[in-house]
Amino acid sequence: MAVSATMISRLAMLGRFSGLPVRTLPAACSQSQPIRCLHEQKNASTQTQSQCTSLVPYRNQSTSAAPAKKDGFKLNNAADFVVAKADDVINWARRSSLWPMTFGLACCAVEMMHFAAPRYDMDRFGVVFRASPRQSDVMIVAGTLTNKMAPALRKVYDQMPEPRWVISMGSCANGGGYYHYSYAVVRGCDRIVPVDIYVPGCPPTAEALLYGVLQLQKKIKRAQNITMWYRK
Amino acid sequence: MASTIRGRFFQTLKESGGLRGSFWKILRGEDLKIGALVGEDRHGNKYYENDRFFLARNRWVQYRADRYWNYDASMVPPEWHRWLHNITDDPPTKVPPVPRKFIWKEHKENFTGSNKEYVPFSTTTKKIHEWVPPSH
Repeated sequence: MAVSATMISRLAMLGRFSGLPVRTLPAACSQSQPIRCLHEQKNASTQTQSQCTSLVPYRNQSTSAAPAKKDGFKLNNAADFVVAKADDVINWARRSSLWPMTFGLACCAVEMMHFAAPRYDMDRFGVVFRASPRQSDVMIVAGTLTNKMAPALRKVYDQMPEPRWVISMGSCANGGGYYHYSYAVVRGCDRIVPVDIYVPGCPPTAEALLYGVLQLQKKIKRAQNITMWYRK
Repeated sequence: MASTIRGRFFQTLKESGGLRGSFWKILRGEDLKIGALVGEDRHGNKYYENDRFFLARNRWVQYRADRYWNYDASMVPPEWHRWLHNITDDPPTKVPPVPRKFIWKEHKENFTGSNKEYVPFSTTTKKIHEWVPPSH
């Protein structure tokens, strides 16, 4: 995100396009909304939710935006079209130059380097490694996240500017993997940071990571931040 | 004509469908490459080959046009996947694939992110019960 990283963060300061409003979304969605996250799930019904085993409530916890419906709310089609197109443009800018923060921790990092090398050539998707979290949009957690590294990971994540995504690469980052029962290892980096894309494999091939990046681009393409802001 | 670089340029432009066709191809994120059409699958994806390019770039797929840029690599059905990734040299148009009962008849693409996505479920009860803030 060559231009847009600074630009959008500046816009975010204006408070107009908040980067991803979802993470600060108040759990005030009305009762008629489908269950989107855990807290709303608790409020929404008096079922024995703790016995619920479906993974659906846990999906999209980090990034999904749900419109809050007001009483007597009528959608202005023309305005909605405009904000949808504005969303399209911003999503295009965001997904066309994803700059990953490399968080290479173990052997997965080697595959991440292969992804950067000429054969898989991540540069053709506008994906360029940045060494600084302040200039990056996406963090690729590649490898085993140990307890000792976890605070550093969280700190680096917190330093990234707001439209930020996380790709968890490999079994170790997904859920501990081979070191799941080790006393020194975090069982999945989603215990530390919200993860958008999980890339399975031990280690995943460079192609798998490439596919994960493409999936992340699709996810960014689906985002409707301004539309949701407008509808609220 | 095609031997010179300039000649190849114009030939590529011509075979990509002129200026308008090339524009659409570039917009969809494809390379402008000349190749022999090897076949077309059930869904309308077209497969090309040109051994002038080096291995791994010599076979490619042009996804169906009505998907614009919303295509996905999983749109390639398995019988073409093996040809596309050099597992075999025989395209399924020449050597039809052997029907096996573990190969699904209707190839489906990756529906992740759509409402048809696969959602796993657990058959055990939860071990960890989250704390819920007492507000609201």
